[in-house]
Amino acid sequence: MINVRNLHKSFGHSEILKGISTHVEEKEVVVVIGPSGSGKSTFLRCLNGLETATSGEIEIAGMTLTDPKTNIHKLRQHVGMVFQQFNLFKHLTILENITIGPRKVKKIPAEEANRIARELLAKVGLVGKETNYPDELSGGQQQRVAIARALAMGPNVMLFDEPTSALDPEMVGEVLQVMKALAVEGMTMVVVTHEMGFAREVGHRVIFMDDGLILEEGPPKELFSNPQRNRTKSFLAKIL
Amino acid sequence: MDAIWQNLPVILVGLRLTIQYSIVAIILMVVIGLIAALMRLSKFAPLRWIATAYVEIFRSTPLLVQLFFIVLGLPAILPVNEWFGQLWYPILAAALTLSLNEGAYVTEIIRAGILGVDRGQKEAAQSIGMNGFQTMRYIVLPQAFKRMIPPLVNQAAQTIKDTSLLAPVGIAELVYKGEIVIAETFASFAIWGLIAVLYFILIFLLSKFSSYLERRLQVDKR
Repeated sequence: MINVRNLHKSFGHSEILKGISTHVEEKEVVVVIGPSGSGKSTFLRCLNGLETATSGEIEIAGMTLTDPKTNIHKLRQHVGMVFQQFNLFKHLTILENITIGPRKVKKIPAEEANRIARELLAKVGLVGKETNYPDELSGGQQQRVAIARALAMGPNVMLFDEPTSALDPEMVGEVLQVMKALAVEGMTMVVVTHEMGFAREVGHRVIFMDDGLILEEGPPKELFSNPQRNRTKSFLAKIL
Repeated sequence: MDAIWQNLPVILVGLRLTIQYSIVAIILMVVIGLIAALMRLSKFAPLRWIATAYVEIFRSTPLLVQLFFIVLGLPAILPVNEWFGQLWYPILAAALTLSLNEGAYVTEIIRAGILGVDRGQKEAAQSIGMNGFQTMRYIVLPQAFKRMIPPLVNQAAQTIKDTSLLAPVGIAELVYKGEIVIAETFASFAIWGLIAVLYFILIFLLSKFSSYLERRLQVDKR
């Protein structure tokens, strides 16, 4: 589903990604962990073209992202993204937030788009919030709407960029639960997170990044209980 | 007082012309400002240069000089009066010059409004597959517009007042008609006072309309 070969990314003179290569299978849930500044968010943002790779190759959902001929807007319809700060459209209602993509980008008729949106709202447990504005919802609720908004495009892959980091502790669970349900359904997911419980329980594979490189990767059980690299050990000791 | 009552019809014709020029200029300044703002934010450098040059030129010279130059200066070297008609050229040229001048300020208002929208909004729009146009049209501009209302209304008030500068280049409007009446009646105190009150009323109504608009948007849309 995702194939990354020797991905480099620099901002000016500072090199953030120093050669990332990895592969994500269909239906696989990959959790990316690592200290802040290790490049994990940049890596994720490269996967849907929000950042342009300096060099290297990315194949995702059957398209080559790094090929200049690829229609990036088309590609992004197949790659959903959930942001740390939710980024719901502030001027639109909850229902409109979810339907605007299908209606304007995929040109789906309003009724059909509304039907899809209501189904998704039921799925993320927010029936009854259709006419509210994002500001009227809690952080956890907003993040669940953001997940529904991404799902409304019918993506093949979902990317999560620290989806619970901006949430009050009591709201983390409700978002993780929605993500877990999604994983169980067989969605291919790449999740940047500090939630080790989620990584252990839902993740098929954990990638540990440090200083722009993948230092270590493996099934969560192995990586957490028996890390091979000293850097991984010290990071896990601090966070677990 | 007699001077006012007897000449009120003439003054009201002037008022009507002032309102007409104001409406045309306000509409055009927003259209011009939006286009130039989008050009200034374009990835394509020549578009940015053109828009920047436009803004700088019109902001850095007095409107009165621009009006003299285009309405009265240009016909001295180009047969514009023949192209557009002796009657129409000054009117069209003056309205357009005024609109371009005000549009330069509107460009900066709209540009600042667009840049003021959180970057995350744009990224979220891109992440669901919207292209640049869709992102602007459905996500960025609607949010930018709300915060642009106060400065745009301010600029619209300025535009109404600036139509008075059409008088010196020979365009009939409120001040022009006032001068004619004063030349006949010598009632400068009464007529200038009346004209000031009429401008005040126009702009007062505009600001009432704007607070109504702001209130509505605040209640309905967060």
